[in-house]
Amino acid sequence: MIKSYKIRRHVANAFIYIVLAVLGIIWVSPLAYMLLHSFRADGFSTYPYLIPKEFGFDNYIALFTNTEMLDFPRWYLNTFVVAIFSCIISTLSVLMVSYAFSRLRFKSRKKFINIGMILGMFPGFMTMVAIYYLLKAMGLDGQLVALVICYSAGAGLGFQISKGFFDTIPRALDEAATIDGATKNQIFWKIILPMSKPIVVYTVLTSFIGPWTDFILAKIIMGDNLENYTVAIGLQKMITLEFKTEYFKQFLAGSVLVAVPVTILFLFMQRYYVEGVTAGGVKG
Amino acid sequence: MKMKRIVALLLAAMMMVAVFASCNGDASNTSTGSGSDNGDVSGQFVDPADFGDEVNAKIKVWAPDKAVKLFKKHCDDFCAMYPDQNITIEIKSQGENDVSSKILNDPSTAADVFSFPSDQLPKLEASGVIAPVATKYIPDIEATNAEDSCDNARIDDTMYAYPETGNGYYLVYDKSVISDKEAGSLEAILAKCKKTNKKFIMDAGNGFYACAFAFTGGFECTGSEKDKDGYLTQLFNDYDEKEVVDTLTAISKLMKDYSGIFTSLSVDNIASNLATGTCAAGIDGSWDAVADEKALGENLGATKLPTINVNGEDKQLISAFGFKLLGVNNVSKYQRTAQILAYYLSSKPCQQDRCDELGWSPTNNEVAESDSAKNNVTIKALLAQKEHSISQVNVTESTWGQFGTLGDSMIKDPNQDIKVLFDKIVNNIKEG
Amino acid sequence: MRYIDYMQLNPFQRFGYNFVQFFKKLPGNVARFFKLVGLAIVNFFVGIGKGFANYGTRFVKGGVGVKISYVIFGVGNIVKGQIVKGLLFFMTEVAYICYMVFFGINYISKFGTLGDKLMTTEIDADGFPVTVEGDNSMLILLYSVLTIVITIIVFAIYIANTKSAYKVEQLKKNGKAVPTFMQELKQFADEKFHVSLMSLPCILIGCFTILPLIFMILIAFTNYDSSHQVPKHLFTWVGLQNFADLVNVTEGAKKGITFLGLTEWTIIWAIFATFTNYILGMVVALMINKKGIKLKSLWRTLFVVVIAVPQFVSLLLMSQILATNGALNILLSNITGQQIEFDFLGASPLIAKITVIIVNMWIGIPYTILITSGILMNIPADLYESATIDGAGPVRSFMSITLPYMLFVTTPYLITSFIGNINNFNVIFLLTGGGPSNVDYYNAGHTDILVTWLFNLTMSKNDYSLAAAIGILVFIVCASLSLITFNLTKSAKDEEAFS
Repeated sequence: MIKSYKIRRHVANAFIYIVLAVLGIIWVSPLAYMLLHSFRADGFSTYPYLIPKEFGFDNYIALFTNTEMLDFPRWYLNTFVVAIFSCIISTLSVLMVSYAFSRLRFKSRKKFINIGMILGMFPGFMTMVAIYYLLKAMGLDGQLVALVICYSAGAGLGFQISKGFFDTIPRALDEAATIDGATKNQIFWKIILPMSKPIVVYTVLTSFIGPWTDFILAKIIMGDNLENYTVAIGLQKMITLEFKTEYFKQFLAGSVLVAVPVTILFLFMQRYYVEGVTAGGVKG
Repeated sequence: MKMKRIVALLLAAMMMVAVFASCNGDASNTSTGSGSDNGDVSGQFVDPADFGDEVNAKIKVWAPDKAVKLFKKHCDDFCAMYPDQNITIEIKSQGENDVSSKILNDPSTAADVFSFPSDQLPKLEASGVIAPVATKYIPDIEATNAEDSCDNARIDDTMYAYPETGNGYYLVYDKSVISDKEAGSLEAILAKCKKTNKKFIMDAGNGFYACAFAFTGGFECTGSEKDKDGYLTQLFNDYDEKEVVDTLTAISKLMKDYSGIFTSLSVDNIASNLATGTCAAGIDGSWDAVADEKALGENLGATKLPTINVNGEDKQLISAFGFKLLGVNNVSKYQRTAQILAYYLSSKPCQQDRCDELGWSPTNNEVAESDSAKNNVTIKALLAQKEHSISQVNVTESTWGQFGTLGDSMIKDPNQDIKVLFDKIVNNIKEG
Repeated sequence: MRYIDYMQLNPFQRFGYNFVQFFKKLPGNVARFFKLVGLAIVNFFVGIGKGFANYGTRFVKGGVGVKISYVIFGVGNIVKGQIVKGLLFFMTEVAYICYMVFFGINYISKFGTLGDKLMTTEIDADGFPVTVEGDNSMLILLYSVLTIVITIIVFAIYIANTKSAYKVEQLKKNGKAVPTFMQELKQFADEKFHVSLMSLPCILIGCFTILPLIFMILIAFTNYDSSHQVPKHLFTWVGLQNFADLVNVTEGAKKGITFLGLTEWTIIWAIFATFTNYILGMVVALMINKKGIKLKSLWRTLFVVVIAVPQFVSLLLMSQILATNGALNILLSNITGQQIEFDFLGASPLIAKITVIIVNMWIGIPYTILITSGILMNIPADLYESATIDGAGPVRSFMSITLPYMLFVTTPYLITSFIGNINNFNVIFLLTGGGPSNVDYYNAGHTDILVTWLFNLTMSKNDYSLAAAIGILVFIVCASLSLITFNLTKSAKDEEAFS
């Protein structure tokens, strides 16, 4: 009886290994394809073989040297700068709003929470035209500052997850600190924030990655101002009809250069990401 | 701790990239009057008095991506011609297909001078974003450019744009596979492709190409009309429905018989597949002329579109043919400078350069007579096809979309009732 | 029924129970929803009424300083010694008056018509065109909204000013010390800490979310489209015309038919996208976390890498791979030895739809794995053990233990991801771009969902008013959906539970 149970378990495990291996290959192979073909030296945009016939670093070199028309290094720098600043501002505003909603009790707190949730339900694209004209009225259209503002302005609305996290921290801590004479300002910075590493990392991570992936708003704000493009819209430009034949391989190389740092960052921060999102968002 | 160090390293690496990037990150496409030393232009193009009181003008030009370099050179020349005006010109790359919608998104930040295909003219005119051509230059433009190119730039007797180049498509083929004689008939091309297991590529899902199916059947777009609300509606001829449906059926039958050979892919695939030898022929335009030549070299053949056999009769495929025009933004702050620049960019020397370097078909009569234009195989093919074409300016924007749907639907489902499909399309075209 | 009772039912009984409960509670919840909305409106007006009553009382009871504050901001504070605060109030008034005189009034006065002066182009003596720009309806509307919002804010400051003047007067009267400006500032680090935390984010949200939103909502009631555009044309109010177009589904009314068709597909898409990811992701997570499976972190990483790659990269890549001449067809050709050129993204509407749902699984399952792993580990192991002893196989124990437990715990996540999928722009836009094209639709294809349609109408057709109307309808669907389900689930827990 016990033996047959053991055999059954082995068979089950073997089956699971096979399934996982097959699924793993399916999941990774498109990305492996991208990596492989970013080193492809021959052919244009379409290519009749799975494995490239010739390899080389030409595509990567071209990305950094052939910058007269499409200036990838510049875009990379732009995105990096925008990501840093919008990350700082968004993280602060998310944490501030969610802390206020979670720990402080004030008049019309509920109303604010509800308004926040309602605003989050409008499709984001609805407002992009108006945002463009507002930024233009401020003289910021085509500027990187405009992007920082856009990415971080609405951040406060994403308070749900971190509010959920703060809710799980016992209130007795606050009370004890208040008795010891700490102001609410001190409690926030000295007691609660140090305890909230997962949610801080989660917020930093998501807001840092945002600018690397947005290809809609940035395009509307930047218009024809190629120098201030971010990598996302720059890479998209490479595969428009006019450029695709020549630039497709460089697009792959550029994509790899965007994906690699983001992936490494993400894999290292994964644990915090999971802690933050499960504590705050999933269980509600 | 270990993780912290790795993150720090990572950030440092990114910083390095950033610093490196900023070093060579200043490739600007700006021409200025003082900074330019291109001295090969003798004399001035127009009387400096034409600039009126506009000095220190800042002009933005939208050029198609592949022509940016050449436009930059011409703008440098222009600035050098009028050093006293101190003109600054900025050239931005902008795909021509969506010029009109890009301008309409915000006319005040759009280019002062822009290059666009003639079918967008009605839309640009109806929305008031394009300025009429300075009347002063019209006689000269009409005298030096082909008559039909000027007609394409006019709406109700007002000229709105400067002719730049011809715009159309033709057949390209691999001479080592398809003989010049076979290139005359679509059936022969497809048969040869099948025999050699190579593709025939045409972007059937794109109305710009797919309109040929309906045009060949005798369906003609004759112009557009503005209704009281300002919406443009498509006008078309009193076509013979049986003839159109028969033609479409014949094409649809070819798509079915040669499925896997007759492929619908975007035009950028033609050059790549010609290079790898998986494609023997395709319908392509002059904007890919350089890539096609790179792919085939000596073996590049180009000629007018082939014929198609409908009920025993060989019918020439009829395409859309138009022009690319240079327009001036109506709300430009430097209207006069912009007009003069557009006039210059459409003039003989600039057209000659574009013909020599990019293989663009000229509208200027003298350039058309030059050797480089006459010996260019793709320009010849384009001009040959022009004889069998419908003017692009007559086709409204939404109609292109409908032709695209027609072609897409035919190639996706060759078994459907063509008559029902065509009736729906015509109905949609009527509604706009 | 308590949770423990519920756990003892078999899956079918549970389903029946949930099904019945859902419909039993539905009318109540819908009624409650409307009651809440009604109450909120009533409260709003009662609040305004009370505000006005207090406003009057303060004026009557207050001294001269307070009375002057009703016309000139800050006077009440200044005369009682709160100089800085009073000056700030006063400067607000001056700034507002300047704003209105030099800017706001030009726009707000045209709010009713949205402008009437048209652009003109004339040819001057030298033959050059000269254009005089007319009114710009879009800017009139935008700046009018701005002016209205600023007016409301200034009005709130005005009320605060009268309150503050009255309060400081009362303090003086009762012989108490008037707080200095510094003392009041210090409060912002403690009692009023929420104000310091919230004000910056609120200003940003107000400027870049609320203001544009009001503007776009108003656009839905105009005829702002490609033929009513700046610079040559003006647009104006048309009432509910856009909404009427969208709900008109009679023969030949393309906008209505498109809206109906796309709504149907959007909902089908959202259901499939949410539940395939949810259930299959959980199955994979269970496999990875099963006792005795080694290399757990390797397996997890294989999936999670997909999340880390930006979606516009991975999806554009996917559309290349799935093209007729893409890698997948090459792979299939190599395997079968025949030339295969199957159009996964356009062979037929149904195939395209299935493809996008499958690709969405590629994108979405890793998220589920990441998020549910931790919770799955929390399911008490003895539940499974006793199930195994009772002879339940893996499928059975998944259906009767894992799924109910997870559904119970993660309902909020499910709702958010359902709404996320209704607005899941990337997958559709980057993969099919809405195609294959549909003859019966207005500027939309078979796989377009409402938000991609909205995007196309805005960006390439300049049909802003219709797009805005669609946006509002999408909002109504999402908002009512989530409000009703939130009330329905027990998971809408008491947020104070931990305090």
